[in-house]
Amino acid sequence: MKIDTGNFVRNAKLEMQNQYARTFLSLLPPYIAARRVKVMGSFPDPAAAQELSRAIRAEAVARMPDLLEEFEKNAIAAGARVLWARNAAEANEMILSIARERNVTMVTKGKSMISEETGLNDALAREGIEPFETDLGEFIAQQLGRPPFHIVGPAINVPVEEVCDLFMKKAGMQEETTDPVELGYAARLFLRDKFRRARLGITGVNMAVADTGAIINVENEGNIRFNKSSPRTQVSVMSPEKVVPTTTDALHLLRVLCRNCTGQSISAYVSIDRGPREPAEIDGPEELFIIIVDNGRSRLYHDPKLREALRCIRCGACLNLCPVYAKIGGYPYGWAYSGPMGQVLNPALLGLEETGDLFKACTLCGTCREVCPAGIDHPAIFLHYRALEVKRKRRSSGRWEAILFGVWGTAAAHSAVWRFLYRLARPVLAVFGKKGKIEAMPGPFAGWFGARDLPVPARRTFRDQWRESLSKQGGAS
Amino acid sequence: MKESAREEILARLRQAPKMEIPARPVMPTPREALFDRDGLIARFTEELTRESGVVYRAADREEILDYLTEIARAESLTRIMMSTDDMIRSLDLPAWGERQGVSVSTAADYPDRESYTRAVFDETDAGVTGADFAVAETGTLVIAHGGNQPRLVSLAPVLHVAVVGIDRLVPIYEDALSVFYGGAGRIPPAHLTLVTGPSMTADIRATAFKGMHGPRRVIVILAG
Repeated sequence: MKIDTGNFVRNAKLEMQNQYARTFLSLLPPYIAARRVKVMGSFPDPAAAQELSRAIRAEAVARMPDLLEEFEKNAIAAGARVLWARNAAEANEMILSIARERNVTMVTKGKSMISEETGLNDALAREGIEPFETDLGEFIAQQLGRPPFHIVGPAINVPVEEVCDLFMKKAGMQEETTDPVELGYAARLFLRDKFRRARLGITGVNMAVADTGAIINVENEGNIRFNKSSPRTQVSVMSPEKVVPTTTDALHLLRVLCRNCTGQSISAYVSIDRGPREPAEIDGPEELFIIIVDNGRSRLYHDPKLREALRCIRCGACLNLCPVYAKIGGYPYGWAYSGPMGQVLNPALLGLEETGDLFKACTLCGTCREVCPAGIDHPAIFLHYRALEVKRKRRSSGRWEAILFGVWGTAAAHSAVWRFLYRLARPVLAVFGKKGKIEAMPGPFAGWFGARDLPVPARRTFRDQWRESLSKQGGAS
Repeated sequence: MKESAREEILARLRQAPKMEIPARPVMPTPREALFDRDGLIARFTEELTRESGVVYRAADREEILDYLTEIARAESLTRIMMSTDDMIRSLDLPAWGERQGVSVSTAADYPDRESYTRAVFDETDAGVTGADFAVAETGTLVIAHGGNQPRLVSLAPVLHVAVVGIDRLVPIYEDALSVFYGGAGRIPPAHLTLVTGPSMTADIRATAFKGMHGPRRVIVILAG
């Protein structure tokens, strides 16, 4: 996938002009968020359920190396082949050589965020192997060449007319329609033919269970089940943090994941694989490859703050409540992950150089942290990124910025200093006011006002008025 | 090269500073654990119905076959593929099919994987299978796949009919999955699925569409 995180501001401005997406964003995320609250209520104690999932994720990340080895041992004992890849290139090369050895020219894919990360589809296509995303939303996004708009509904913002055009051109649809159900049915027919013929199926992994060596996938459409049933070879790609200690832990996370993701108490399908098919089975994969892709995680594991990012279970609850996401949608985040999840993960995995706007596009309101079932403190991580960036950059203007914020900090912490400086600043600020608002200032302040307004200070402060009215009352009595 | 990537990743993870493992809160007993049989049936039915599944109660083999006859008529079924687990075998569906004019096959009837795949994808109106457990918590079927329980029979046809003994109805997932992954006794299956209602999506304009890739309809007959 093309990395476009560096154009966050440009793309955000562009998306804010998109009325269709704006309308959509005003309806869907709040709807899913409300469903989530309702279905969390089916836990006897929702707060305890959330606390437990947070504890499980924290433990899974803390014990990650041990759990990975345990998982690997048990998966191999069950007949799976476990491969390790340092980065995207290695992972893609492994899959390519598996495909080449089997003379595969077409693969079907279940939704896998790690394969979005590694750009697997492009790598396959370059080598003449045609990849088909089989999750409906992913299929549409793939055919349009767009990043996911929302982790749960990757193409949910695409107008039906556009889907219709696309399916007429690329999915063998015979008659034009804008009915979402008929469009879905056309995709069913098209992809069903792929499932029937596919020799190699690729899936992601929602959870890898250490004490059984099993991998778990969660889905509603059935496309992942097809990928695990029809092809003779199954490749499941996972990042190391997918590992959890036990089946019991996995079941609790499953309950929490579905509730947070789509507001369902359970998804239509959950499939659990332990090794390839048994000899007596007529369908299912004769061989199962599990590829563990590090892609920078073992490095960020050394930073205790960044390590927290690995707790993420990709539910997307944070997207649905984020005030920034609600205005701009998923595209501006420029990579596999969007919303607060993307603001945490994209900089962690891509580095801070090209992702600087992501961790700044945040008001630090903390709603994401509150809702997160994995216990990630997003705002603290954003502040950590900002601090790292300042330390790293040391720009020439950094010195003045430091002095200015030093003064600001002192003033904000001492009321006498604040009052004194504010008294000086008020007449100056008033000069720039128009219709009660200051929309621009010259010099070093121009940048700050580029995206913010200040109300013009009142002629007399509240404090002055208060003192005055007190003295009047005092005089009257 | 692969070997060294493994060593490198694990070594780097192990070199990182250790972190504390937090204590786990005590979870209250799930409500379903206190249900009696009728309560479990009610919950299972309510949950699955909400996901647009259909639940029937059948007292004996006779009633199960009556329901199947009714379903076959209503859905105009002519070709069924069945699993060969104990529950389904006990129904002797081939004999029933002969009476009803419905052809009933099993995976074993096909000479190879290719012809089986073609049949289950394109030439089957309904898959009829057993299930190892029914879970009241969310109206969920637990199906351990294997030689007698092919994966595609409950997935590829547009209608899935499952017959489950009432003695297999359990309160929560753990009751079912601990049987397979408990460590003692049974070898865990290569493939196990939890199925709750039909296949679905809402990926185009957030409009619900049942039967995206798998069955559009799921009918569960609780037997006994």
